[in-house]
Amino acid sequence: MEANEILAKAESLRNGLSTGFRDEIVKSLYTEAENIAKRAVKSTSNKKYDFDQKIDRLVTSPYAGLPIMLLLLSLIIWLTVSGANVVSGWIAVVLFGIGDYGRALFNQIGMPWWITGFIWDGVYLGLAWVVSVMLPPMMIFFPAFTFLEDLGYLPRVAFNMDWLFKKTGAHGKQSLTMAMGFGCNAAGVIATRVIDSPRERLIAILTNNFVPCNGRFPTLIMLATVFVAASFPPALTSLVAAGTVVGVVLIGVMFTFIASWILSRTVLKGEASAFTLELPPYRRPNISRILYTSIIDRTIFVLWRAMQTAAPAGALIWVLANIHLGDSNLARIIADWLNPFGLLLGLDGVILLAYIIAIPANEIVVPTMMMVYMGAGMMINGPTSSTEIFDLLVNGNGWTMLTAVNLMLFALLHNPCATTIMTIYKETKSLKWATLSVVMTLGTAFIVTFLTATIARLLGWA
Amino acid sequence: MNTTVWLITAIILIVAIFIPRVGLIAIYKTYRIARERELVEDALKHLLDREQHARQASPESLAGILNLQRTTVMKLIEDMETQGLLESRGSDVHLTTQGERWALHVVRAHRLWERYLTDEARMPLGKIHGESERREHSLTEAQLNDLDAALGHPTRDPHGDPIPTREGTLLKAEGMPLTAWQAEGPMRIVHLEDEPALAFEQILAAGLRLGQTIRILDRNPQRYLLTDGETEFRLAPAVAANVSVAALPESETSKANAISLAELTYDQKAEIVLLDEAVQGFTRRRFLDLGLTPGTVIYPELKNFFGDPRAYRVRGTLIALRKDQAAQIWVKPM
Repeated sequence: MEANEILAKAESLRNGLSTGFRDEIVKSLYTEAENIAKRAVKSTSNKKYDFDQKIDRLVTSPYAGLPIMLLLLSLIIWLTVSGANVVSGWIAVVLFGIGDYGRALFNQIGMPWWITGFIWDGVYLGLAWVVSVMLPPMMIFFPAFTFLEDLGYLPRVAFNMDWLFKKTGAHGKQSLTMAMGFGCNAAGVIATRVIDSPRERLIAILTNNFVPCNGRFPTLIMLATVFVAASFPPALTSLVAAGTVVGVVLIGVMFTFIASWILSRTVLKGEASAFTLELPPYRRPNISRILYTSIIDRTIFVLWRAMQTAAPAGALIWVLANIHLGDSNLARIIADWLNPFGLLLGLDGVILLAYIIAIPANEIVVPTMMMVYMGAGMMINGPTSSTEIFDLLVNGNGWTMLTAVNLMLFALLHNPCATTIMTIYKETKSLKWATLSVVMTLGTAFIVTFLTATIARLLGWA
Repeated sequence: MNTTVWLITAIILIVAIFIPRVGLIAIYKTYRIARERELVEDALKHLLDREQHARQASPESLAGILNLQRTTVMKLIEDMETQGLLESRGSDVHLTTQGERWALHVVRAHRLWERYLTDEARMPLGKIHGESERREHSLTEAQLNDLDAALGHPTRDPHGDPIPTREGTLLKAEGMPLTAWQAEGPMRIVHLEDEPALAFEQILAAGLRLGQTIRILDRNPQRYLLTDGETEFRLAPAVAANVSVAALPESETSKANAISLAELTYDQKAEIVLLDEAVQGFTRRRFLDLGLTPGTVIYPELKNFFGDPRAYRVRGTLIALRKDQAAQIWVKPM
């Protein structure tokens, strides 16, 4: 037969096919596979299966399922925050030691002060700060998260939470990318690749920033300890601080749902699409694979992107703090200029300045604020005890409870960091969505803080 | 000084207006051509539709459907006649063979787009018609053949209308309007008319969908009362006329005593009978990939706090499905 004849024959045969022939093909493939499996696989015991089933009944149970999930998430966040503090200290000692040594070396060979300052107190300090604050929590959070992933627990979370996401027009797997966002929003944005519907994936990308990442936790914890917990008896401080942070996190989750709901009724209009999810059997986690994925694929990847933006930010901070006009430096002048707007939002000019400079990495918000408040020439840690911090902020710089609450809200809702914006652009390949992610979050932050400030002032609370 | 500024402004303006491909004139021309094509194609569609329903098309009916002045329509008809697309005899307008071919091309483009938007882009049914109206004018014959092949040569669009083949054969629409159906017993919805959009929205809002098996419980001049055995649907007679039904085919009788997977109680084993016809494209492939093939034994195993989704045990693996998805799988309890 000629080629054309064969094609014509195929065409005529195709027209006669019933519409269900694809189903039949898949069915026959499965039948064949089942026959092979029956011949080749011997199953001796159902122990593993029964055990899996028991765990599944527990972790998806209507009453215990959600509490278990919250408990695990709190445990991971607690492990990350408390463990990271210790490791951060070690890394800081080493990196800042190198900085001191470099500064001394430059002074010795007679470099002009501004070269030494720019390089060691600007660029290097920015880098060292971001590495020492960012690396440890990621090195704890990502392996812990990957452990749950490898174990097979995460699909059960999506299973438990899906209904809520469906109601907002989103996908159940968004609960996983949201949880990933606690580690790092950029990593959370990358994780949205598991969502196969483009519309729902975009929702997950755009709303990921509403959960606070590792870089924002220190700010929240500092504020919760200094402002909220301080008014409670000492025995309760850490508990109250932790409770406050959990409360803020839940507000973030609430905003995720609200934003998803609004998005699927406006720019990303559409119905919740098909949701099919495999719940794989539990596996013994493979430690070396966990370390590889979490350290190489996630930690190093994110850290590298952050370092690229942290160095110029460090340089900028140093320049702002060391160019003097009259008896005030550039940072102070800009902060004073921003102050009226900051006060309108229940914040102040220094906070806004810190957030503008800290677009590369939220880790440097607090040190930048401290630098301006204390009139220093480089980023500093500020006082160590909470009473001293309280004194500096409230008595020295006019903070109130409103400032603290609004700063927590602003830290939660404001625009994504540069790394995340870059990642959103790379994942969506669209300037439009990257811009929207900034406008949407920043707009929310402005509106919410403005409203709380106005209401608090009208009611005479602040 | 002043003259130089004027001169430069003038040059810039002239360039902006006259430069080929991107200049204002070029943009306007492209727009005109596209608009012209749209008008011609919409006119062809209307004529084809009239001919299929054995009704005469006239300049008046064209003016109505295209929302144009009568004089503009006469000009359009004249133009199309010179292109050999139609013939006018007296006040009647007819398609030529060439015109019919082109009209079928547009109808095919429209219905393939609808299939694509439903199956692959997973757009809600109420939105696909408008989107396809915009997209149907831009594809060439070859692109259309590629789209057809990529979708697996579908024969009907998501409303149940037949899709013309590449050779230009168009099957007759199946079934008759619900209002004309006289026989007793169950019937199958084979077509949901998507124009006017308002009536279609009402059909969707009532919960009716293609391929559903229904019975008429009661009919009177105010409303039609229908049931699928579970839920009752109410339709105004004017809307009911937009729903076409046909007798149950042989294969469907197996579905008659089947229930949907969503109705199955926990640990109640069942055998999959078939996947609903309304599930096509991406979602159907996904179901099949997960092993949800006819004849497979399945039972609900896990529920969560909200009761939706549920996890089902299939061939030893656990698969979670939302209620909406489970409702599209027909099973027979064992």
